[in-house]
Amino acid sequence: MTEVKLRVLQRHEEKIHRGLAELASGDYGIPESLGNVRWTPELLMTIWEQAGTGKPPTSGLEYKVGRSGGGFDALDFRFAPESERIDEKEPVDLSLSLNRRRNGPPIEIPIPVYGAGMSFGSVSLQVMLSRAITAKTLGIFTSTGEGGYPEPLAAYKDHIITQVATGLFGVREETIQRARIVELKYAQGAKPGLGGHLLGDKVNSDVANMRESLPWVSLFSPFPFHSVYSVEDHKKHVDWIKTVNPNALVIVKVSTPVDVDMVAVGAYYAGAHILNIDGGYGGTGAAPEIAKKNIAMPLEYAIPKVHKFLLKEGIRDQIVVMASGGIRTAYDVAKAIALGADGCVIGSSEIVALGCTYCSNCERGRGCPIGITTVDPELSLLIKPDWGAQRIINMYTSWQTQWHDILRKLRLRSIKELRGRYDLLRHLHDGR
Amino acid sequence: MMDDRQSALVQQLIESRRQLAKGRELPTRKVEAEGGCGVIGVASSVHIKAKHLLAPVLQMKNRGNGKGGGIAAVGLNPKQLGVSQAILDEDYLLQIAYLDPSCRTQLEDEFIRSLLEVHHANRVPSMENYRDVEELEVEPPQVWRYFCRVKPEALDAFVEGNSLGELDRHKAEDEFIFQNSFRINSKFYAADRDRKAFVLSHGRNMLVFKIVGYAQQVIQYYQLEELEAHVLIGHQRYPTKGKVWHPGGSHPFIGLDEALVHNGDFANYYSITEYLAQRNIVPLFLTDTEVSVLLFDLLNRVYEYPLEYVIEALAPTTERDLEMLPAEKRETYREIQDTHIHSSPDGPWFFIIGRTDARRRQYQLLGITDTSMLRPQVFALQEGETQIGFIASEKQAIDALLRSLQSEDSRFWSRADLYWNARGGSYTDGGAFIFTVKEQHHVGPDEAVGGSIQDRRLVCTDKFGTVIEPPKAKHRYDPAELQSLPESTNVPIKIDHHSDPDALFRQLSSEIAELDFRSFWYLCRSLVGVSRTDGHAWWSCIELLTLLLDRIYSTGSKKRSSMLELIERCLYEIFDSFPSLAQGRESSYRSIAWKKKTSLRPPKGSEQVLACRATGFPAEGPDSLAQFLVNAAKQGWKRVVLYDLRGHRFIGCGLGPETSSLRVDVYGSSGDYLSSGLDGAEIHVHGSTQDQLANIMKSGKLVIHGDTGQTFMYGAKGGDVYVLGSAAGRPLINAVGRCRVVINGTCLDYLAESFMAGDPLNGGGFAVLNGMKYDPEGNLIELDTPYPGGNLFSLASGGALYIRDPHKKVGVDQLNGGQFAELTERDWNLVLPYLKENEKLFGIGVDALLTVEGKRRNAEEVYRKIEPVHLAALEPEELEVSRF
Repeated sequence: MTEVKLRVLQRHEEKIHRGLAELASGDYGIPESLGNVRWTPELLMTIWEQAGTGKPPTSGLEYKVGRSGGGFDALDFRFAPESERIDEKEPVDLSLSLNRRRNGPPIEIPIPVYGAGMSFGSVSLQVMLSRAITAKTLGIFTSTGEGGYPEPLAAYKDHIITQVATGLFGVREETIQRARIVELKYAQGAKPGLGGHLLGDKVNSDVANMRESLPWVSLFSPFPFHSVYSVEDHKKHVDWIKTVNPNALVIVKVSTPVDVDMVAVGAYYAGAHILNIDGGYGGTGAAPEIAKKNIAMPLEYAIPKVHKFLLKEGIRDQIVVMASGGIRTAYDVAKAIALGADGCVIGSSEIVALGCTYCSNCERGRGCPIGITTVDPELSLLIKPDWGAQRIINMYTSWQTQWHDILRKLRLRSIKELRGRYDLLRHLHDGR
Repeated sequence: MMDDRQSALVQQLIESRRQLAKGRELPTRKVEAEGGCGVIGVASSVHIKAKHLLAPVLQMKNRGNGKGGGIAAVGLNPKQLGVSQAILDEDYLLQIAYLDPSCRTQLEDEFIRSLLEVHHANRVPSMENYRDVEELEVEPPQVWRYFCRVKPEALDAFVEGNSLGELDRHKAEDEFIFQNSFRINSKFYAADRDRKAFVLSHGRNMLVFKIVGYAQQVIQYYQLEELEAHVLIGHQRYPTKGKVWHPGGSHPFIGLDEALVHNGDFANYYSITEYLAQRNIVPLFLTDTEVSVLLFDLLNRVYEYPLEYVIEALAPTTERDLEMLPAEKRETYREIQDTHIHSSPDGPWFFIIGRTDARRRQYQLLGITDTSMLRPQVFALQEGETQIGFIASEKQAIDALLRSLQSEDSRFWSRADLYWNARGGSYTDGGAFIFTVKEQHHVGPDEAVGGSIQDRRLVCTDKFGTVIEPPKAKHRYDPAELQSLPESTNVPIKIDHHSDPDALFRQLSSEIAELDFRSFWYLCRSLVGVSRTDGHAWWSCIELLTLLLDRIYSTGSKKRSSMLELIERCLYEIFDSFPSLAQGRESSYRSIAWKKKTSLRPPKGSEQVLACRATGFPAEGPDSLAQFLVNAAKQGWKRVVLYDLRGHRFIGCGLGPETSSLRVDVYGSSGDYLSSGLDGAEIHVHGSTQDQLANIMKSGKLVIHGDTGQTFMYGAKGGDVYVLGSAAGRPLINAVGRCRVVINGTCLDYLAESFMAGDPLNGGGFAVLNGMKYDPEGNLIELDTPYPGGNLFSLASGGALYIRDPHKKVGVDQLNGGQFAELTERDWNLVLPYLKENEKLFGIGVDALLTVEGKRRNAEEVYRKIEPVHLAALEPEELEVSRF
């Protein structure tokens, strides 16, 4: 790359960093065109702030909920009266065990979240590295998504989940064998009943090489696994992964159809360690609106449905339930847990920490002005992995403080105690 | 199709059910979800015992979860049931499961004694304590059996009350029984939360048993091992909802004279229940299997459709397949579809139905697959002194059943003559096959029939009535004949460790047709003998026997299936004779077995080959044969033989990258996912294979001396793969990279959908489809069409297909995203080495492939290339982005 180009890039990068810091301060007001009702400008700005400081926001902007009037925005906690709360100095336990079965290695993560799958192609290698460094630093995980396992990620293999999705792009035995956790992606909440898709614009030669497909040809994953049309096929599928890597934990990622409870039980009996139910609020701007908004059940209904059903079946404590799909804030995570999940899988918030403005132009090859959802060899250099990782780590550090605070106010000493405590939630019918 | 009178009768019949449906709420969703199942059905010209279902259902245990098992038996032996043949033929055989035996008197008083003439009744014996059955957790119901007819006065009242006077009295009686059972179920099962009793079956000459447990436990608990029938069905269920299961949800479900088991799960349950409700039929057990059989009964018994139309209504013929039908048939099918498309099950499903056709005094076994072929299915046929047909989820289950039969009855042998898959909703076979057990010489219903009829024949037909049969004028060996070996024979070869097995095979293959079984057996035995005496000749003997097993040649009057059985037996004997790893004797060949599996160690000295008998190894899991292979490879074994497989899955999975020096030979009935993920190693499968082979295969070599199943090479990235026969549905779907495949037969449908394998002329991938088969005399001939499916290379963006199609039978109407292109010299130079390797592996000569109607042609006259359509829409994008 020429020196001129590098200089241009560097100046661009500096401006973005400065812009993030200055906008987040709130000193310049709230940009009108930023975000939407779920991802409000305030939420974006406060995540930028947290990603800069590593502390809960002090700008005074709303950082806990959006303005959608529904979903997690319509839920609030019933905190204990001030006098009954646990002292701030007392420790709380935020850790989560990812294996509750009798087989497979014990894996514990110190906070109840890990990173969602975002493929090489949908995001750049720099973004993947940022997330991988985060996962390693915090002792959590991040997922490859379905676009293969770029070699530079192998240095972080103990913290990287290999995803096996319906297109089977870039999945090899080697990548399954190096992972401690393997994820079978049956569906994603942003587009249930549809496969993943990567428009030709983003399939440059690097991406095509990784997936062993053709450059500039759009890639559509099939909506089901062609090899799995039933629960017995699914069991066989899990058995296959366990043959390839007997020591891996298996995540089964599904969306939230009306019979998600049955799907959950099926996943358990097939031998899954972790069930990831993915609701419809998530997905990058590349996911079609019609799918995001119209298919499957809202996440806040799906979580308790699954939780209660697993309890009734007597198997709740043998499978870990992770919720995902539009979990934006530390409060969303806590609410999802109170609704019955064990923890959450975070995608968009990590991207926002990197500076995403929710402009929803992700499907374009050079559409992301921040350099996140692009594999363009120049644009993607705007994200430096170490810088990116620090931003995400900061966000999670702030979230830890908030979870500590929430638990303390609920008089709980462990995040595990929060699971399924609907009684600690209240519904704001009018959305205030 | 129906005149006014018939139509009115149908209406009246449906009307008579109005009371049944009244007040019943229509379920909006099924209560019990299930998808997977292991199914097997068998039909035989002679009675076979239910215990022979044990081996196949046990081997398919991994397709169930122990929450539901069932069997059906059709065409029974009256002596075993304590009734006369006449009663067995004419009475309804009501079998009721009492979950709460205390309700029996009430049920019998209300629904049996008052309405039915019972000619024989008994409690079905069972084990005293259900806990004595291994792993059985839920006590099965007490079962009572009643041979009965409807009392004339009760039937009169029914006919009169429902204005069914014009209906044939037998049909009215059928309907009475059907409605009576519905009432029993409504009162004692569906309506009652306690679920006290339900009707297992009421059809003529058939029995159904089902429990919460595995299918094998049904046989064990009710002591059905010796029960004889012409048609048997076994079902392993995999329901996923509910901690508490009820046997009523297990399969088979019944119509009137039919029992249906199902593997799958359809999406339009509600639509079908709506359709049925409009005809006053309401489901009580809330699974999609129940509505399937209710639908079948409606089409068959109420509408009286011929079986072909019933199948069409269930699995419509669509798209190109419909267009390929003769005009008249197409018209009829269109009408059927117009009427029934909303009630045709949508999604993955596969039905096996056993039924009595009382009017024609015959028994039938049917297998019907969905239009998209989304569930596993294999059909098979063996014809010797007896005829026997099979339908199953896996080939290995069929082989297990045959082995079990063979162990008791020398009329059977361990391999079927034919194995095949159905092409769902197709113009070629209709996606359904029917095995009918008929009386050999028609005996009119008026003639007295004493005792059981021994003289029965089995005929297999497809949906259109085309008869499926193995090559004629071929015989199986007489087991007695092989007891002693001849002193001398005309066996034409000598073998020692200098022998070249290929040369010997060439010499033999032309002469083998002339050998009788005794000589052939002598030949095989002598190879075993040589291998015993001359350790160095071991490999030559194995290779020659393997060639005899793999290759297709003229067998003369000998049945190929029974020759293969003998060859395989000898091969296994040789492998068994390898010294075990524990033995001290110096040898290049070693063996290991399940019980001694911990003796696995790295090869020492001159040790080269490790042979492992699959018996005992689980089909999957940490102790599986697949895992053993991984361990052996890790220990440094470079040549491994796995033999006598019985559905063992995942062979070659988990070996990891850089395994190019490993070669594995697989003998027997291998299981799903073989060689999936293979990255370097070489696997030769000596026989047909199962589903999901070579998924995500990265590199290495796979040779299949037979057919392969569904989703072959899904998402594969590379590797050289050779298939002697055909692939089922969806081969090479989503494959990328540089996979290179030669398929000598054809594929059912969806070949290379979304193929993305680059530019074959620059390192990308391709598939060669030869469209050939062998005639009964072992001659290579062309298939009717190289590719029958309506979807070829759909949405493909890379790679290419090279199809041997000298008569240009493949049309553009089969392509969606592909186009025919000129076969250039570069193309031929690319393909030729693979065809030469194909010749080496299977003996299918390049010359033979290029010979059309006796004349040697140029490659471009014989092969056609299909490449992706260049997408004009992408051009500006490419230009725009490539500038950067």
